[in-house]
Amino acid sequence: MNAPIHTPRETPPTSQVPDPQRLTRGYWYWRAKRQRWSLLIEKRALVVNTVLLMVLVLCSLASLAFGTLSIPMPDVLLTLQGEGTSMHTFVIEELRWPRLLAGGLAGAAFALAGCLMQTLARNRLATPGIIGIDNAATAFAVASVVGTGISLAPPAMALTGAAVATALAFGLAGATGTRGYRFIIAGLAIGAISGALTQVMLSSVALDDANAAYPWTVGSLNARAPNSVHALTIGLAVSYVLSLFLNRALATLQLPEAVTTSLGTHPGRVRLMGLILSVLLTGLAVSVAGPVGLIALLAPELARTVSRPGSIPLTASFLAGAILMVVSDLAGRLVLAPLEIPVGIVTALAGSPYLLWILLRKSPDINR
Amino acid sequence: MNQTVTMANTQTSATPLSAKHLVMAHGSHTVIPQLDVALPAGQVTAIVGPNGCGKSTLLNGLARIHKPRQGTIVLNGADIHKQPAREVARKLALLPQDNSAPEGLTVTDLIRFGRHPHQSWLSQWSDEDQHAVESALRAADVGDLADRPLDTLSGGQRQRAWVAMSIAQETPLLLLDEPTSALDLGHQIEVFELIRALAHQGKTIAMVVHDLASACRYADHIVAMLGGEIISEGPPSDVITTNLIEQLYGVTCDLMQDPTSGSPMLFNIRRARC
Repeated sequence: MNAPIHTPRETPPTSQVPDPQRLTRGYWYWRAKRQRWSLLIEKRALVVNTVLLMVLVLCSLASLAFGTLSIPMPDVLLTLQGEGTSMHTFVIEELRWPRLLAGGLAGAAFALAGCLMQTLARNRLATPGIIGIDNAATAFAVASVVGTGISLAPPAMALTGAAVATALAFGLAGATGTRGYRFIIAGLAIGAISGALTQVMLSSVALDDANAAYPWTVGSLNARAPNSVHALTIGLAVSYVLSLFLNRALATLQLPEAVTTSLGTHPGRVRLMGLILSVLLTGLAVSVAGPVGLIALLAPELARTVSRPGSIPLTASFLAGAILMVVSDLAGRLVLAPLEIPVGIVTALAGSPYLLWILLRKSPDINR
Repeated sequence: MNQTVTMANTQTSATPLSAKHLVMAHGSHTVIPQLDVALPAGQVTAIVGPNGCGKSTLLNGLARIHKPRQGTIVLNGADIHKQPAREVARKLALLPQDNSAPEGLTVTDLIRFGRHPHQSWLSQWSDEDQHAVESALRAADVGDLADRPLDTLSGGQRQRAWVAMSIAQETPLLLLDEPTSALDLGHQIEVFELIRALAHQGKTIAMVVHDLASACRYADHIVAMLGGEIISEGPPSDVITTNLIEQLYGVTCDLMQDPTSGSPMLFNIRRARC
């Protein structure tokens, strides 16, 4: 005979279930009457994203107004409505607007790529800049600029470089994949080798060619390759939408691997999709702005600190990345005017102390 | 009538989850050379055995966390790896040993994750979700902790929150890997009683347990593993013998019946002289 089965405890649980409204506190939700359709919207994310969007608009206006020629804000607004003087129209529409657009889009792409990669690797340090994807993309782009006989356009070359570096890091990481330190260490090495290759290429070509390729090596909005902004715009739009669809699955990646699987998500597939998106974004962003990789570390970190714990701040990272890039470029243009500090150097100067702070303050593992 | 033993040995449709000719390996190291097992429906099965005997590997295999080298895991009559991941996640939940969570995540946030397989882009928070989370909070007795971040809780409270997440998944099958490790006696009993209550509601439960006494007391069916093989299975009073305990752990002991529950109790435990 079996041992007697114990009856469940008779006493009612001591703690009370909170009032049902409390379960959805911090959210707006809507349910359709008949169908199963329902929406759950996080209030905090909505507020954060709205504020970030407003900040971005303000920074963009500042970026259009300030420079070697300062344009008063009312004139900037007039010019944007098509009623400015021909001088203002030229400066804003021909010089500053394309540069603003390129910077904002590249910053957003870097940040989105960083947020995706941090999430799928479950490590704050795992950003495209640190994995060496930026450097490899740069090396490939420089190879096409200095004319080593490869005739692909820089954006295509940068994408190829990004993909090659990621595949290498992934391959070298072995069974652990994008999780754990092997991926990061492999990436660091690939980044260092790519950086060295870029220098070798620059030192072995004529001075003029090397000068033409210089902005690529530090990260600057001065040397945008033709059509690269168009490619970035399309790539960013597609990747952003896809990453939003991936958001629910990405959130479960924060839990232990076995739980992710138990909840019906294929961790491997989600990681692969996230990795492809972040490689695409990084390659396209590098082809516009060069290796401004710190944005990919700073912006998602900033977004995380203002977002609800446990959520993946894709939109907030996107906006924060654009803001950081626009502000860095503006600062680079203003601080030593008329000299211009490349945006990559500004972010390195401002971002490195922040990186140190992150490293010293808490473990890079997203789960404490 | 109790048909535990016969049910375990036949592959009737009453078995919601079973393994056929299962071979599990980590790399080149074979952990489970060949194994057949079936979980009796509506009962609590405890998997016991010494460290490294393949208990957790078996549980992870059953929960399709690791793919078997050979053999099949059959969930409701079909190969688990051929069923859509979401469908499986509505039938089977696993609570692993590793329960790290993002910093700042609250108990409710965690339990909400349990609803993931029931939600989609068009259905983000249904009435069912609401009810499931409410009743999980109640069942695991964590209603008072609903808004607390997990990292501010004690080990026992945190474990109850994780159990609540599994309950919110509302699966007829629940697999738990050492659900009471790192808990003090009071919290252990709390979790075990919760598991019994869930079985009472009709869930089929399998758990890896280190403590043989608790396994005897709270499980209907014991699966004893050694070296990746099942060396004995059945109701606790049939399976647990001094012989088996010496075989499993290399200790000798005496057994008596718990006067209140009738389950076997171990005492006078000492190392076996070889």
